[in-house]
Amino acid sequence: MESAFRRGAREGLRDFLPLSVGLVPWGIVTGIAMRSIGLTELESLGMNLLVYAGTAQLGTLPLIAAGAPLWLIMLTALALNLRFVIFSASIAPMFAGRSLSERLASSYLLVDGVYAICADKALKSDDVPWRWGYFIAPSIFNWMMWQLFVAFGVFGADFVPRDWSLEFMVTIALMVMVLPMLRTRPMLVAALAGGLGAVLLRGLPLRLGVVAGIVVGIGAGFIAERWQQRGRAA
Amino acid sequence: MIEGVWLWLAFVLMSMTTVGTRGSFILLGEKGRLPPVLQRALRYAPAAALSALVVPDLLLDGNEVSLLNPKLAAGLVVIGVAWRWRNPWLPFIAGMAVLLAMRKGLGW
Repeated sequence: MESAFRRGAREGLRDFLPLSVGLVPWGIVTGIAMRSIGLTELESLGMNLLVYAGTAQLGTLPLIAAGAPLWLIMLTALALNLRFVIFSASIAPMFAGRSLSERLASSYLLVDGVYAICADKALKSDDVPWRWGYFIAPSIFNWMMWQLFVAFGVFGADFVPRDWSLEFMVTIALMVMVLPMLRTRPMLVAALAGGLGAVLLRGLPLRLGVVAGIVVGIGAGFIAERWQQRGRAA
Repeated sequence: MIEGVWLWLAFVLMSMTTVGTRGSFILLGEKGRLPPVLQRALRYAPAAALSALVVPDLLLDGNEVSLLNPKLAAGLVVIGVAWRWRNPWLPFIAGMAVLLAMRKGLGW
């Protein structure tokens, strides 16, 4: 008979597969983008292995290219990764009974898509080995696919002519990520305020305008949400 | 451009934010809980952050705001295409095509 762990792994992979299609253009673009700002092959693959967070990687490339201070790069990466604190808080009960090393590996591996399928299904399950399989199998699959397609981009970047303004792919990629988030009005307010805030505050020293814009955006989104609720209550 | 040891140090620091955020509550176990107010405010962080990176690149030409520039035109096409079709490749193809057409074709 098939073990609960293997059944979980199989079902997790099956549910994750449709979400993983986006990995292909995504990984390739990230690979090309890292090379386009001037990272070597080794540096690009190293960044991809260490950071393993597409949004944070793409988002910090302009700062790395501009020679921004390290703390600012770290702060921007932190802002782009902050959503994972929420995911982590909501998914944590799934890891009851797992060892510290398994938890550490899971912390490195947790990505948006796997969180989405687990929040949907595995969080409600009391079957410990099943839900571990359901989390870890698609997580490892995602990691392998990501490393593979980023490597395609990293080594394929040399075949694209230098004067094609490829660094604009970073901006397109960031836009494609933010657009689906803007379904509610407060999200739209947060994005507009964050973007315009960063433009207006661009004169701040040390490229702090980006971080200041992020803070403005978070505040504006939060206030917009409050107003929306008050409007409904009245 | 950040280079050499400093670049690798930047990668390590960024990697700490990856494991730190993803692992925050997984590593804490059942001991930790995020205050609901903070949880709600933090939902806006990714949209605000992505937009804070994108909008200046689209609106600024050098350090000046410019509403007539090839990047903004390409950006608007990307928004339209991404909104209308769900194809994951199309925004990249359309956006780069518009940018290259304007820069190379029209010499903008």
